Amino acid sequence: MSVDLAFASVIDLARMIARKEVSPVEVVRVHLERIAARDRSLRAYITVCAEAASEAARTAEAALMSGRPSGPLHGVPIALKDLYDTAGVATTAGSTILADRVPATDATVVRRLREAGAIVLGKLHMVEFAYGPEGLNAHHGAPRNPWDADAERMPGGSSSGSGVAVAAGLAPAALGSDTGGSIRIPASLCGITGLKPTYGRVSRAGVLPLAWSMDHVGPMTRTVADSALLLRAIAGYDPADASSSVLPVPDYLAALTGDVKGLRVGLLRDFFLTSATPEVRTAVETAARALQGAGAVVDEVALPNVAHVAAASYAVVASEALAYHTSWLKTRAGDYDPEVRKRLQLGAFISGAHYVRAQQARALVRDEIDAALAQRDVLLAPATPLTAPRLDERQITLGDGPSDVRGALIRLTRPFNCSGHPACAVPCGFSAQGLPIGMQLVGRPFDEATVLRAADAYQRLTDWHTRRPVLA
Amino acid sequence: MSEVFDADALSRAARLAGFDWTPQELEPARPAVEAALRLLATLDALPLDAVEPTTQYRIL
Repeated sequence: MSVDLAFASVIDLARMIARKEVSPVEVVRVHLERIAARDRSLRAYITVCAEAASEAARTAEAALMSGRPSGPLHGVPIALKDLYDTAGVATTAGSTILADRVPATDATVVRRLREAGAIVLGKLHMVEFAYGPEGLNAHHGAPRNPWDADAERMPGGSSSGSGVAVAAGLAPAALGSDTGGSIRIPASLCGITGLKPTYGRVSRAGVLPLAWSMDHVGPMTRTVADSALLLRAIAGYDPADASSSVLPVPDYLAALTGDVKGLRVGLLRDFFLTSATPEVRTAVETAARALQGAGAVVDEVALPNVAHVAAASYAVVASEALAYHTSWLKTRAGDYDPEVRKRLQLGAFISGAHYVRAQQARALVRDEIDAALAQRDVLLAPATPLTAPRLDERQITLGDGPSDVRGALIRLTRPFNCSGHPACAVPCGFSAQGLPIGMQLVGRPFDEATVLRAADAYQRLTDWHTRRPVLA
Repeated sequence: MSEVFDADALSRAARLAGFDWTPQELEPARPAVEAALRLLATLDALPLDAVEPTTQYRIL
């Protein structure tokens, strides 16, 4: 049987490599050749680690041939958003300010991936300092959404390169980061799976911050099962990250039973489905019916205070981002993308009282989500209320009225950054224009296993995640 | 809050926060600042007096 290595799942690649059915050298070569052929137009990568990846693949092959024990990701190439520290490889956060920054050590999760046997293919494009959901970057240009043959649609951000690389077969998997939706938004717009774990589930040590109390890191893959495998590899307590949890890390793959009989699903209509465009709303309602048909118990639930998340999130992110960027804003303000500089400047006009009010509002929203999940196992909502907007689009009409594109993209994801709950975005349909539609499943804190079980069961019922963009 | 700020006022406020930005540098951000302050004012309508500010998220 012929296998397209560029679109094989992480699980299949790891299994084929472990059985010596394919060499890690071949897997890495296929991906490097595809990057060389495609990335000039897709612009997913900032740095391609071709030599280091090839060398690591040869080492992995030698280890296999000599019978040395291998980790669950042995020989599997993975790419990283360019805010993960990588020893000896530039880590720029998509900026010019950090263009020459070469860390001496790996971020904790990068070290854990390498210990599990993964091979770093390269560093991926992103919105400068992760501050924006559209996927635009004035320094490097926007990565191209692979589903749009006319190259005029946003990939989503801020993990734009991660979404594009995984969707286009330029990496089997990637790591992104998510402060207001930056994993789930590009996952939704590019038609892949993106998991934002619970706050504290995965270490952020060695990951450049946007807003410490809202930042999450997690996997972006083509299947839920691959995200489960990667989460197991990267999750767990890290003394270098004071926010990381000491809770044990379960075997997430073992949780993927395919069974959702009796699973209680709360469909979020007010604010979530009501703001979605008709195509997105229909796709998510159809997904709810699919889960129901498989035995899940679906009801509707509302989160009345979620409308206040925009203000709370804004106060927290702008204040924390300003704190991180103060020195550069004083000395190198002209080196920022003008849009990012403007967003950072706004933080100077937020008072301490605003910040505390915002933290109080976060507690209110968190408690409300907890209450909804006290009687349900997961919540279901669109990941984004719209499909990929055009690059030049600034205003859009949603289901409940006009909105700026930036606010629309981030509207349905950031409540769960405010609250810290785990959320997984998966494709659930395509628009009439052939653009992916994404939904998200949200679970109780540290219950990624149930979120992944529900999302994986949905992927067993549907084939949206198996569709591939036709690249020009 | 529905005040309209001119760029000079923003520049003075920024100076208080430690940033030496000129009115010209701040003019592009002025509409966004006004919109942001209107947005933040909506938090005052919430029943928050008895709510403990969230600083950690159940790091169990």
